[in-house]
Amino acid sequence: MSGGPAVRVSIESTCEKQVQEVALDGTETYVPPLSMSQNLAKLAQRIDFSQGSDSEEDGIDGKPRDREWTKQEPEEEEGTVKFQPSLWPWDSVRNNLRSALTEMCVLHDVLSVVKEKKYMALDPVSQDPTTPQVFQLISKKKSLGTAAQLLLKGAEKLSKSVAENMENRRQRDFNSELLRLRSQWKLRKVGDKILGDLSYRSAGSLFPHHGTFEVIKNTDLDLDKKLPEDYCPLDVQIPSDLEGSAYIKVSIQKQAPDIGDLGTVTLFRRPPKTKAGTQQWHVKLEAAQNVLLCKEIFAQLSREAVQIKSQIPHIVVKNQIISQPFPGLQLSISLCHSTGEKKNHRATPDKPKPDDHLYVLEHNLHQMMREFHKQQLSSVVMPHPASAPFGHKRMRLAGPMAYDKAEITSLQHNEGLLEKIIKQAKHIFLRSRTARTIDSLASRIEDPQIQAHWSNINDVFESSVKVLITSQGYEQICKSIQLQLNIGVEQIRVVHRDGRVVTLSHQEQELQDFLLSQVSQILHLLILIPKYHTYNSKTLTGNTLLLHLYIFYFLFFKLYLADSNCIILFENCFECNIFTLVCL
Amino acid sequence: MEAPQVTVMPVTGGTINMMEYLLQGSVFDQALESLLHRLRGLCDNMEPETFTDHELVYLLKGQQGNPFILRARRSLSHPTSPWHLRYLGQPEVGDKSRHALVRNCVDVAASHSLPEFLNEMGFRMDHEFVANGHIFRKGAMKIVVSKLSRILVPGNTENTERLSLSFLVELSVLAPAGQDTMSEDMRSFAEQLKPLVHLEKIDPSKQRH
Repeated sequence: MSGGPAVRVSIESTCEKQVQEVALDGTETYVPPLSMSQNLAKLAQRIDFSQGSDSEEDGIDGKPRDREWTKQEPEEEEGTVKFQPSLWPWDSVRNNLRSALTEMCVLHDVLSVVKEKKYMALDPVSQDPTTPQVFQLISKKKSLGTAAQLLLKGAEKLSKSVAENMENRRQRDFNSELLRLRSQWKLRKVGDKILGDLSYRSAGSLFPHHGTFEVIKNTDLDLDKKLPEDYCPLDVQIPSDLEGSAYIKVSIQKQAPDIGDLGTVTLFRRPPKTKAGTQQWHVKLEAAQNVLLCKEIFAQLSREAVQIKSQIPHIVVKNQIISQPFPGLQLSISLCHSTGEKKNHRATPDKPKPDDHLYVLEHNLHQMMREFHKQQLSSVVMPHPASAPFGHKRMRLAGPMAYDKAEITSLQHNEGLLEKIIKQAKHIFLRSRTARTIDSLASRIEDPQIQAHWSNINDVFESSVKVLITSQGYEQICKSIQLQLNIGVEQIRVVHRDGRVVTLSHQEQELQDFLLSQVSQILHLLILIPKYHTYNSKTLTGNTLLLHLYIFYFLFFKLYLADSNCIILFENCFECNIFTLVCL
Repeated sequence: MEAPQVTVMPVTGGTINMMEYLLQGSVFDQALESLLHRLRGLCDNMEPETFTDHELVYLLKGQQGNPFILRARRSLSHPTSPWHLRYLGQPEVGDKSRHALVRNCVDVAASHSLPEFLNEMGFRMDHEFVANGHIFRKGAMKIVVSKLSRILVPGNTENTERLSLSFLVELSVLAPAGQDTMSEDMRSFAEQLKPLVHLEKIDPSKQRH
């Protein structure tokens, strides 16, 4: 320690820089040391401006800052000692800051004094009313500009969203389409397939067709290409035997002379009426359901045609059922099913044959089938007690009440679909023929006039018409001939005004003869009238005339009531007062 | 006058040869509403039908071991309906793959003097119960949801006590013998009721302890 040579000890500050980052290979990056101005700025931050060259505020505020100041003083002095030449630029800064602080303190004091409102009060300064016009315009323009900007932005957003909506509606989600489908048709999920039921089985039908259709997703298509107009992301696949469209053609014709023609009914394609906005799948499913119903109706009719024994057997050939309602007449019911192949139809002429299809009967067939369905669902079929089998509740009584065969047959439905439709066809035919007869007579006979008033409300099996035979000028006399014709299924019932009832058969000639006889009665009645007029003016007094009239009418009606086919011819000769009666 | 000849050959046609296909299950009382709702949607579109029935089970004990069982049932909600007498045979031991329980079934409608008649024939009433619930129909299938109640005083159907807190669900079809296609339809229908109620074939002979 003491003997050795003097060791030079150098003192230098440690170059301790902070490590900013250590790289992956071990090299260290140091934080660069503060430059002179940076260091100065750092020190300037630590200056306490309240302790400055001004010692006015030293009072109470000064004391607690004393300690701080003493701490900072050496550093400050250091700072001032070190950076003496650059003190002057900072000095102005410092002075400015100090004056700002002064101002703030004064303001704060004033505000606190004013708040109390005891020693100081604030009065508004009178505004200068005239602001320069230019300034107003500019400010208005600016505010309008900002408002316009906002509105434009909003409009842009709206138009963008509308365009997006259109885009979405065109694309249409498969799921929303499926929801629409499900709201109208029965669907169920089997495995990963979606199947549906378009048959009438849940509505009471007993037709063994399954009626299952499959829902297919149609969404894998190229979105870049333009989508077709009728694009739908959902498609249905209907069973192959229900494709196309069908209807049941019911027509009445004269008996066909040859039988070789049967079974070949020409189909004319009805244009399908599609409402705007209906989906393609809806149209397809409805058409398939209609085909199924037509098939069921035709199957029921042909089954009945074969099973039910009738006097004239019905002929069932391929898709046609032929029966004879009246001799010489033929009713043909055929199932026309076109599978939509267009080639066949181009061959046939564009104009379809004159339509002898009876739409009313087709409609009635559909209605009767639906009635039958509804009957299956009626609660009359439900068993009470619950363990009993299904069946009509009156049939269940057959055992305990010991019904005999007659009672049982009366309980069951005797009339099938075919019989009902034949009856309706008969009535329609009879009615149209009656109308034709009356019209032909009316056009042929000029005097007297035949009028026919058909009633609007008719039944499927009965219609009525009122026939008036009058003559111009003699309406009072001719009031007696008013006939009410009730046209039934096979007969025509005539009710006279006085209550007599005559039943005519379906023969056309019989009706014609009957009407002719009525017309003749009127004619002969009219022949007498002029003779009475001349008679009146000449010799007879009123009483005798009245007597003659009474006798005349008495005899007329007596004979009329007795035998309607008798035509009474009166000839009155005033010389001899002879009444001549002629019976035909 | 001679009496008409009685044939000694067994009767084979008519109602004698009907088979009943049956699937059974049960639901708790709380789940009844949802089950009824689902059945209303799946079955034929009719007004929901409720029933209240009183069933009496008659036994004829012969010399052999197994007694002969007949079930007589009448409707309490429709008192004028005839009684219903039913015979259920042994379940057919066919192939195991058949999905439903198949047994011979004979149904006869009877007048209101049935209990006296059975008593005179030698049958004795074993037990009776009251069943009430709902009945649904889908085509030829009958679905009965019923709650069974025990009769406390014999003959008095007003005083009943519920046997359990659940409802019995039965799916049954009556079909002539030999027609086996119904079991497929029954199985697919039972599938549609799957999470609500499990319908399966329960062999009654295996139930006895």
